[in-house]
Parts: sequence; structure tokens; C-alpha cells
Amino acid sequence: MIAWQPASEASIPARLQPALALEYGRSHDLPDAALLRETGLAGGPAPDALVSPAQYLQLLANTLRALDSPDTSFMLGQLMLPGHDGAASHALVQAPNLRVLLETLCRFHARLTPLLRPRFETWDGVALLYWVDAYGAPSLRPALVEMHMTALVALCRWLGGERLPWRFCFNRGAPRHIEQHQVHLGADLRFGCQLDAMLVDAAWLDRPWPRASEMASRLAQHAAGSEPARAPGLPAALYDYLLEHVREAPTLERTASDFGVSPATFKRQLLRHHTHFQGELDQVRTHVALWLFQVRRADNEEVARYLGFHDAANFRRSFKRWTGLTPGPIRAAIDGELGWFARLSGA
Amino acid sequence: MSCFDPVPPRHSFAVLSLRRHLAALPSADFLAWCSPMNVVARHLVLLVGLLVSFALLFVGAGVAIPLAEWDLVDIASEGGTALLAALWCLIVLCSRPDGRVTRLLAGGLACIMLGSWADCLDEAFDIDKSALWDNALEGLLPFGMLVLTAGMYYWRHEQANLSEHMRKRERLFRSHRPFDRITQLADAAYLREQLRRESGNGQPCALVLFDIDDFHRINREHGHAEGDRALQAVAHMLLLNLRNDDLLCRYAGDRFAVLMPGLTQPEGDSAARHLCHMVGTMRHHAGSRRVPLTLRHGCADAHGAPDALLAGLCRQMDAV
Repeated sequence: MIAWQPASEASIPARLQPALALEYGRSHDLPDAALLRETGLAGGPAPDALVSPAQYLQLLANTLRALDSPDTSFMLGQLMLPGHDGAASHALVQAPNLRVLLETLCRFHARLTPLLRPRFETWDGVALLYWVDAYGAPSLRPALVEMHMTALVALCRWLGGERLPWRFCFNRGAPRHIEQHQVHLGADLRFGCQLDAMLVDAAWLDRPWPRASEMASRLAQHAAGSEPARAPGLPAALYDYLLEHVREAPTLERTASDFGVSPATFKRQLLRHHTHFQGELDQVRTHVALWLFQVRRADNEEVARYLGFHDAANFRRSFKRWTGLTPGPIRAAIDGELGWFARLSGA
Repeated sequence: MSCFDPVPPRHSFAVLSLRRHLAALPSADFLAWCSPMNVVARHLVLLVGLLVSFALLFVGAGVAIPLAEWDLVDIASEGGTALLAALWCLIVLCSRPDGRVTRLLAGGLACIMLGSWADCLDEAFDIDKSALWDNALEGLLPFGMLVLTAGMYYWRHEQANLSEHMRKRERLFRSHRPFDRITQLADAAYLREQLRRESGNGQPCALVLFDIDDFHRINREHGHAEGDRALQAVAHMLLLNLRNDDLLCRYAGDRFAVLMPGLTQPEGDSAARHLCHMVGTMRHHAGSRRVPLTLRHGCADAHGAPDALLAGLCRQMDAV
């Protein structure tokens, strides 16, 4: 059975990420009443209490709304990593290079970045880290992405002692506050992509960082690994599951039984996370198709076969439904000069 | 500027000017001062209390005039004047920080309110003509007008001081956009607006971006409050060294932008190097520890589409 955590269940220690958001709001003269509205945490959470992801999301939404400033999500991101989660945070700080840092972040994501689940891929000299929604917060998604990307960029800059030449894609239109992205993230920004990702030349992955110590890193990893793991949110767990089973045409019934619940319960749970099974499946298939286009230089025929479609025409229609674009222009963009990924690997 | 406290001589000039700015501008303190409803409620209760106590005074001292003899037009115009003056008084009290100008404006309006209200009550209650207090109350109306006029006079002075102070921050026209909370400078949206205006005319104009070196380290090692103080210090040092025509904005984070109308790109670059030098000679402290502040800059000709221009210059900054 697959372990997962519902958004309504208290699982995040209040003294960690929620305390940072609360402290930030308070330092900007916001009253607790405004920050804690509708969180059910009136009077402020006790320091050793647990907070549910839904409450933490509501706290973030309140902070963003009350401050109404385009830099809030970026400033919250600056504060977020390495965090104060004992062994897991320590393992991050001890990472001797970028590769170990990204692997550590992905390994302990439920503790370090509970709201968005990072996924790390590397191929052909490109390192890619993209963010998957862990608890279903569509309205907060752009702010969460800004926050988490800023957190990682700032952490790498601090540990590495220099600015990494990250490139960023966003699954959204160009925002009005693009200056915040330019300053807190970097000037290489691309909007209107199918996923929220950050890319960097893979040569940076193994470059040793100042203060790096393999041994300290191994010890910290071991210490963090020996603590009980925390389960990811339902959408994040489902994303992992679907990615693994994408070639077997996953169905709701089969997936629900693998998650140990009835299809009706599963559906209801997904609805509580503001999503549904088909939407999640389409998202995973979009990402896999893009990966095949990019990495394997696959054509429609091959992708259709890989994903279990009858023929290329069928796949083409479905892809249009998922993304609003036919595969043609996307493949051309990947291959051509506009290609975000291609530009990087060619660099 | 008369409304500022005398500053003890031991403060450095940066701190001194910082205090001035904080005192002169509608700052966060002012917002905090204004936002709670209880301030509005308190003023409202005071004004209503004055109106009611006047009414009670007239009820007690006078003889009610029969309804049939009431001059409704007079009552409506005088009563209306009193109520509107009360509303204006309330608006002034709630939208300005306390101070001489605010007190004169609000006091004048309150006198006008009470004078008109006494006039209005006179229509409904017959008061012995020999009673001096009634005449004195009606005299509040012209007295209030005098006080209001004095308030307007000092307001004009205050406005002139503020305009002088704001010149390098807003340039050419004033729009009521919120200023950056920390530095009280205009933001990137305002800069883009100004760049659009600038791209229309044929005059040379330079655009410079400044980043603070290792700013993220100040935040990590000393906390965000110290980071904010460093931003304020740099903003003030830059302001002190700009020409009156220049516009200083906080672009985002630790990046500042200066628009220099009339300067070509090489001239702007040389001005920017001077600004970097000035900031570099500053002694900034976090607590008792000295924090060196240095800037790096990028300069471009400020013509062309603002978004592309800024994106290009930001790319240039990343490469520095």
C-alpha cells in the first residue's frame, strides 16, 4: 500500500515552516487575527503542535493577501531553506555539491518542502528540477513556485558561494512583477511552459563546494535517514505512482486499490485536494511526452506507442486536449532555436 | 522643515536624513496609525457628542418654536453645512498623521460645523437675544474659517517641502502608486512607465541598474531587518548623489535603478561609477559590526521597449 498524507491531517511541526510564515507576517506589522484567519489556529499554534498542510496553505494565503506585495513569496522563499528540521536541514547544509544537495532535497522533500515535491532528472548534460503540487493548491500555485524556486536558488548561492546560471520555465503566463523573478531568480526566464522547472548545465552538479566534506555529508545523510520518514501529500504520491505506471494505462479503480481505498473514497479524497484522477493522469502523460520529445527525440508515433495509444492521430488529439497545443509546434520549439532545453544542452 | 524634531549632533548624516524621510513621508507607522477602525470610531463619537451636547444646550436654555413657524430651507442649509463640515473634519483626521497642519484643518472644520449647527438650532429654539453665549457660538463660523485658512497656509508649506523631497523619487508627474515600504522609492512598474515616456522623445537618456554585492549574505548572517537597513542606507546614499532630474527606483530585492535623462550611455556609466564609489566609502554597521557595502552596476541607453531593455540589462547584471 502506498503511504500518503491528507491535507487535512496535522503533520507539519508548527515551529518549522508555519512559524517562518507567521514570523514574517508579524515582522511586517500584520495582526495575528489577519494572519490566522480561517486557519483554525486562533491565538497562534503552540510551538510543539502540529499543523495540517491545509492550515499552512491558508496561513500563506492570508500572508500574501494581507501584505499584497509582489515580493512576499520571494522573501518567504529566502527564509525557507535549509530550514530548521534538525537532521534533514543539516544534511542539506552539509551537501558537498549540487548533485547531493538536489538528491537530499528530493529524498526528504516531505519534511523540507512539504507543499511542493521537487523531482530531479538529468540527461545529456542537462540537470532539471521540477516542482509537483503536493497538496493541491491551484490558486496558490504561482506563489508557491516562486517561493520554492527562490529558496533553492538562494540556498545554492549561499552554499556554493556563487550564482548558478539557472534557467527557469513556468507553467503560467508572464506576470506583471517579472522584476522580482529577474532579481531573486535570474534573467533567463521562460513563461507559458508545461511545467515549473529549473535547469542548469550538468557540469555544475559535481563541482565541489567550499567547505565541502564527503564524510560530514554521509554522516548527516545517515542521521536524517534513520529518522521516521514523513509521507508525501496525496497529489504528490499519485504523481509518483502514475509516473511509474504510465505505460500500463492506469485506471482509477486499479490506482485506488493500490492506494488501499475504494474508488469512491479515492475520488472524494482527490476532490478535497482540488484535483481529479484524469487531470493528474493527463499531467503525467504530458510530462512524459515532453521528456520523450526532448531526450529521445521521439516522433508522435513512438510517443503514442510508449503511452499505449492506438495510433499517432489519437495521441495528437489527446495531447492537444492536455496542453492546448499540438505536438508539432512544441517539438519544433524544442528542436529549433527557440528550444529552451536545446539551447542549454547546446551551450 | 519645521515639523521635525531637533536632531542630536551625534547621529551620522545618513541616519539624520533617514529620520527626516521617515518623519516626512506617509510611512508604515502612519498606515498602522490610520488603519484601525477604532480611530475613525473615536473621532466620530467625539463629533457626534459635540453636536448632541449643543442640541441639549439649546433644548435646555431655549423655548421650542412651533413646528409651523420653522423655516425649513434655512434649517436644511445650515444643518447640511454642519453635517458636511463634520464629514470633512472626519476625513482630515483619518487621512493625515497628527501635527500642526492636521490640527488646524480639523479644528477649523469643527468650528465651522459647530457654528452652523448653532445657527440651525436657532431656527428651532428661541433663545433670549441678550444671551451672549448664543452670539459667541454663532461667531464660531467665521472663526473656524480663519483657522481653516491658517491650516491651508501651513499645508501649502508642508506640500512644498514634500515636493522638494519627492522630486528625485517621482519625476515629472505624480501618480498615487504605493511606494516601496522599505526604501520609500518608486517601484519597477513606475520605472517602466517612465521609460515609456522617455522612449518617445529624442533626448539621450541613460538607465543604470545597481546590485549590492553579497546582499544575500547580509540577510543570512544578520537577518532580514538588517538587510532592510542596508537597503535604506544605500537608497539614501544614492539619493544624496543624484542630480535633481534623475529618478531612483527600487527595482526589486537588492537591485536599484536610476534613470538619468540627458546623459548618454558613457556619461551614465561614469556617473554610475561615481555612485558605486560613494556607496563604497560609506561605513555601514549592523549592530556594532561593520558591514562593507559595495555595488556593481550595468548601464544602457534608455531607448526601446522597456521590457526588453530591462530584461537585457538584467541579463548583463547576472553576467557581472
